[in-house]
Amino acid sequence: MRWSRSLPAARHCRTAALALFGALLAGAPAHAAGVDLYAPRAFGYLIGDTISLEAVVTLDAGWRLDESALPRPRPVTYWLDLKRLDVKPETAPDGAPRYRLTLTYQTFYSPLEPRALDIPAVPLAARKGDARQTLTIPAWTFVSSPLRELVASQRGNPMALQPDIRPRPYPLAGDAQLAAAAAAVAAASLLAFAAASGWGPFAGRSRPFATALRHMRRLPDLDAQLGYEDALQLLHRAFDEAAGQRLFAEDVPGFLALRPALAGEAEAIDRFFTASRIAFFGDAPETAMALLPPEALIDLARKLAAVERRGGTGQGTRKEAA
Amino acid sequence: MKLRILGLRRIAALASLAVLTVALAMLAITGTRMALHAKANRTIAALAAGRDLPVELDAPDRLLMARAHFLMIRDRLDEAQPLVDRLAADRSPLAVAALYDLANARLATAISFLEKTEIDPAVPQVRLAKAGYRAALVRAPDFWDAKYNLDIAMRLVRDFPQIEQDQQDEAQETPKRLWTDLPGLPKGLP
Repeated sequence: MRWSRSLPAARHCRTAALALFGALLAGAPAHAAGVDLYAPRAFGYLIGDTISLEAVVTLDAGWRLDESALPRPRPVTYWLDLKRLDVKPETAPDGAPRYRLTLTYQTFYSPLEPRALDIPAVPLAARKGDARQTLTIPAWTFVSSPLRELVASQRGNPMALQPDIRPRPYPLAGDAQLAAAAAAVAAASLLAFAAASGWGPFAGRSRPFATALRHMRRLPDLDAQLGYEDALQLLHRAFDEAAGQRLFAEDVPGFLALRPALAGEAEAIDRFFTASRIAFFGDAPETAMALLPPEALIDLARKLAAVERRGGTGQGTRKEAA
Repeated sequence: MKLRILGLRRIAALASLAVLTVALAMLAITGTRMALHAKANRTIAALAAGRDLPVELDAPDRLLMARAHFLMIRDRLDEAQPLVDRLAADRSPLAVAALYDLANARLATAISFLEKTEIDPAVPQVRLAKAGYRAALVRAPDFWDAKYNLDIAMRLVRDFPQIEQDQQDEAQETPKRLWTDLPGLPKGLP
């Protein structure tokens, strides 16, 4: 809005219109139904300007505004359109029904000199059962001003029109940026997908021994029988993964033959497989712990992980084996 | 333990696949739109260059506007009118421009009639131009060029209500523009 709503000059018209008739019909005592008009500045309007009038309609308890009697958006006079009408029901502080009507007009008057124009009064109706009363939003006067000089003071054609809005092509830059961004996101998510699925260059080397070592160190009860067996299991799975197949004691020589880097651990690996057989299938599982104490097991896993880090157990050798 | 690691990788893979799908869909949509717009732009450029290319009524709005403008500036106003009506009916953002340009074309036609002191064919064109400017201003009340040109048109042919109506009638009914007159030619004043 171009004007301040709280202008002290806001006009206050209480139309105590209404008629005694209404009051008598309704059987109500003196009622305070009325219309307050809050108007913007009353001057300086040009052709095509919009004007918003706000009317607050207060009714007596039990009455309601007759919606069907409200004006519809339409041309009011040949130079004035009612563009829209907003009705907001409210409740006054004392509980009486109240309506806030916003009437937006547009003036198309083209005066030759500043001239006062009237927005005509708007009749309203309120109902309570069969009783009906009429109210009026009062007329309002404003001063409309000319847009152009009456007689052109400057040389040049006074009838020269403002230029056309020329047709323009569709802008493509925004879509191009959007498409580029979408393509970038698509490429990035494709890379992410490839990395997450271990495709192509993202296959990476899995490190079964390092993983096993990490999990073994987290075992809380490595010194107890159950924890020890869990640790053996973890290292077995690491061997399986490194070999690409289930690795049993009898496969170990073949496994080691393909991985010369592990030759230094051959004895410890043999001991591990022996201890494992005793632990899981032997008569006296506890002797396994004597053969390969938990510390030695961890130590073996650490050494294997170290060899693995240098590539001595990697998948390349696995492919050879296959 | 292993499962959890696999699970995370799997979630990452699925998430990136979802993002990939959305991005590809986006790319397809923007790509299609760009292709359509580029095609329309070629026609718009050809029309601007003066080639008389036909345009269907259901063409994209900027294309309609380009065709309408092509017709307007060649005084083919009756052919331009349906295109402008179409833009106005579709509540296109170009409706204001189309209504304004057509009103400009009509007013320019009227002025050229008046310069030849042919008043009878000028008056309806001025009235149509005024209606066009008003329709543009209803949609864009702050459109200053339309206000200015409407003011010119208003001074050419002023509106007068034929009958003074009493207040109640005026509030209830729309006074028709019953009679307009042309008070005189602004050009050639002493």
